[in-house]
Amino acid sequence: MNIYITGFGCVSPIGLNADENRKSLQASEDGLGKSVYLQSRYASLKNFGEVKADTETLRKELKFENLQGLTRTDILAFKAFKEAIENAHLLAEEISSRDTAFISASTVGGMCLTDELYNDANFLSSGSEYIRSYNCAAHTLQIAMFYGMKGFTNTINTACSSSSNAIMMGMRLIRQGRAKRAIVGGAESIAKYTVNGFNSLQILSNSKCKPFDETRDGLNLGEAAAYLVLEAEDVCMNKPNYGRIIGAGNSNDAFHASSLSDNAVGVTKCMELALEDANIKPESIDYINAHGTATPNNDLIEAIGFKNVFSKVPPFSSTKSYTGHTLGASGALEAIFCLFSLNHNELYPNLQTTNPIPGYCDSIVKQFTRNVEMNYIMSNAYGFGGNCTSLIFAKS
Amino acid sequence: MYITSLKAISPQSTYDESFFSGNITVHSGNKYKALEPNYTGLINPNLLRRMGKSIRMGIGAGFQLIQGEENIDGIILGSSEGGLEDCIKFLNQIVTYNEGTLTPTNFVQSTPNALAGNLALMSQNTCYNITHVHKGQAFENSLLDAFLLFGEGKAKTILLGNVEEISDYNFNIETSAGQFKVEETTSENLLSSSTKGTVCGEGSTMFILKANATEYFAKILDVDQISYPTENEIQSLIRKFLEKNNLTPNDIDALVLGYNGDSRTDFWYTNVANTIFPQQAIYSYKNYVGEYPTAIAFGTYLAAYLLSGKSISILPLKHSSKPIKRILVYNHSNGIQHGVILMSA
Repeated sequence: MNIYITGFGCVSPIGLNADENRKSLQASEDGLGKSVYLQSRYASLKNFGEVKADTETLRKELKFENLQGLTRTDILAFKAFKEAIENAHLLAEEISSRDTAFISASTVGGMCLTDELYNDANFLSSGSEYIRSYNCAAHTLQIAMFYGMKGFTNTINTACSSSSNAIMMGMRLIRQGRAKRAIVGGAESIAKYTVNGFNSLQILSNSKCKPFDETRDGLNLGEAAAYLVLEAEDVCMNKPNYGRIIGAGNSNDAFHASSLSDNAVGVTKCMELALEDANIKPESIDYINAHGTATPNNDLIEAIGFKNVFSKVPPFSSTKSYTGHTLGASGALEAIFCLFSLNHNELYPNLQTTNPIPGYCDSIVKQFTRNVEMNYIMSNAYGFGGNCTSLIFAKS
Repeated sequence: MYITSLKAISPQSTYDESFFSGNITVHSGNKYKALEPNYTGLINPNLLRRMGKSIRMGIGAGFQLIQGEENIDGIILGSSEGGLEDCIKFLNQIVTYNEGTLTPTNFVQSTPNALAGNLALMSQNTCYNITHVHKGQAFENSLLDAFLLFGEGKAKTILLGNVEEISDYNFNIETSAGQFKVEETTSENLLSSSTKGTVCGEGSTMFILKANATEYFAKILDVDQISYPTENEIQSLIRKFLEKNNLTPNDIDALVLGYNGDSRTDFWYTNVANTIFPQQAIYSYKNYVGEYPTAIAFGTYLAAYLLSGKSISILPLKHSSKPIKRILVYNHSNGIQHGVILMSA
């Protein structure tokens, strides 16, 4: 059975809605820079992919002034979710139907309020309004409650591959008749917690990240929310759509808690599993949206993985050079970027990369290219804990 | 799917299974802490020293099960919180050292998927690997994932389980949110306390699930869940759930319910039992292991023992003379997230 993507919505460092995101990609404009809203000593030292709006403005736009306990993660999630369901023209009764699943993802959840959390967790306050907001699943439950969703709801945390796994599970639920449609994606906001975490691992760059560059020196943390509406063929026959999800692969690298194995075991396996699941050959892939975090370890291993899977590596780029690494939201955000490519036959280049890793980057996309024949696109994500996921999208 | 082996580290003596022959530990106060086994021989002492409690318990319960299998085709875990103790340690480091030079160990271990990653690493397993973190339904969602994986024909054997730990982080936050009892109770009078709040538990329960088996503990037939239901909605969900599996309420011999002694929310269980299953035996488990978001994993564990045909000395809340061939496990988390698991002998 075909599973179509009938709508999507996103908010990211390069745009407050899907349209703005595509325009930035077309113009090769990144959203990286010093942080304006983060309360941290690193705000002005490191580069970040920050959503260009403060939480209060976004809250007002959603008319949520009177709702208590909403974190920035929640607000970003609501904004992208709303755009996605409107874009797919879902009716209220379709959203609340038992047949509609909602699978979200996040790694930091409400811990974006790191200082409030510190106070609440150490009994230094009498309990803030956010006491029920820190959990990874808090945003999912807020949205499910707001829209009266009665179907399957879930939140996944496999670190940086979280929302890729949310998309994968939505596809699998529909395939096996456990749902007719699934709203899938993830939300993440920049947190003092994660900034210090990644900094302690010494993988935050002081400049704009340079995925696949020989001199790459780390990632830029980003924030975003992105949701896609997946619908089974039999419930969306007359609707416009943006393509199909046709395969996914999930593997574990089984090597190290925070770096990838030298011979790219997990990376290779997830791509092979996705191709097998989609029942297409490697040479059918027209473009790969790489995980490409710009850490020394990730990019080289990923490029080795490409060579393991493809006799001729297809064009690839990392759109993290526009948005930074949006962690739990990145899989879904980059899935939407893939759908832009697929629908408009255009390739978005890897930015900031002047000296690609020699011997591995012959097919890296260096400039914005139009009128490229696009039928199948792969999108990859790998996370801490060895969690690797690859997704394949096809033209409808 | 079939449960062919299982292991739990819990506030009871489940690791050596003496809990089932009457070795019941009485807990008092609001923290029911896990009785951890001696991990020597199971976990390398150097690794053990650096491991947070949730990872330690999860490996303690899960790794032996993996070692007993030739192949594992998937590792599926449910955990609302993951390594909270590591999380608060890292959080405190951030503040104490004013975002200075911090050690990454706590950060890396605090991510909820660290346990699934560790299990994969220790067993060199490169297969399907995922962590569901949907708070009070993380375990139910893990089971659904296992059904999907078996249904796709992509697995024959899966390691599936949960982990949750008590730390200052969740205990203090949940205390501020009014989750726990104000007065002192014990595990013997928790369920009859008739007051607000419950007690905090922890543990890790792990299962080997197989698509096919001739020798097994119990079968898991189906799973479902719903959020923010009305009472009518949960009752209708349970009836439809049984219908979908070609069963009527009379086909269920016993209920395993998530009673936790909280006078604000225990009525959900009583109403479902009284309305749909007035004749059935009722078993409880949170009076032994406390409340935590994925506690239903322990309910599933208890149900598997009840269905296994082994003689066990756990007393029901309500007796029935019918032999136990089919069990409905029903749990909710603060009345918000509800889950049902259908099991049979």
